Amino acid sequence: MYRMIKDTPGAPGAKPRPTSSAELLGANSEIGRKLKQYYDELVSDEVPDRFEQLLSQLEQTKKD
Amino acid sequence: MTSSPGFKTDLLGAIPSLRAFAVSLAQNADKADDLVQETLVKAWDKQSSFQPGTNLKAWLFTILRNEFYSQMRKRGREVQDSDGVMTARLAVHPSQHGLLDLEDFRAALEQLPEDQREAIILIGASGFSYEEAAEICQCAVGTIKSRVSRARTRLQEILKISGEADFGPDAIATQVMGSAVA
Repeated sequence: MYRMIKDTPGAPGAKPRPTSSAELLGANSEIGRKLKQYYDELVSDEVPDRFEQLLSQLEQTKKD
Repeated sequence: MTSSPGFKTDLLGAIPSLRAFAVSLAQNADKADDLVQETLVKAWDKQSSFQPGTNLKAWLFTILRNEFYSQMRKRGREVQDSDGVMTARLAVHPSQHGLLDLEDFRAALEQLPEDQREAIILIGASGFSYEEAAEICQCAVGTIKSRVSRARTRLQEILKISGEADFGPDAIATQVMGSAVA
């Protein structure tokens, strides 16, 4: 599934067209992996209480 | 109209992703949480314009992104133009064992222009399709593709430079000279 990338600097303009994110940033790519790691760390960060409080407030004002 | 009871729960569930996207955009945890707060308020107000069954996460990301750019415009782009880029550039040092360190990666990501950074995050990390990302960014699918591609190339360049040697600003020249230097 992972195409061999030929390093041919002598072919100007012959850019490979990325067809899917799997190819572009797939699990085999170091950048794809780091990107996931970076993001997953952010997603797993604990959510502060203020957001739930905010939503409860919004819910209250809607009812009134 | 009455608000659907599930809406609040759905919003709550989306907060971790919203915060991650906000940090990726704003590069600052406090600004990111302000963005998320603003997004939740706006989403609540516009609740009736959300079509149930469509992608809530994409809808919320769109609101957050619009909020980010409108704040940036108000601030005259002081967010990123000042010294942020330069310090980030200086902060990328060769990792010790040639391993790509998460900190190096973060610093490299900060160097990308916002449009490229958001594209690569949406596609490579948030799990959106190119079509969804294009909708969130209000641009063509092809534009997203080319931004992701440029972002990836740029990251590779930055990180390769940091991994090879301490050549600093002349690293491009060493790339041109190729293996003769190594």
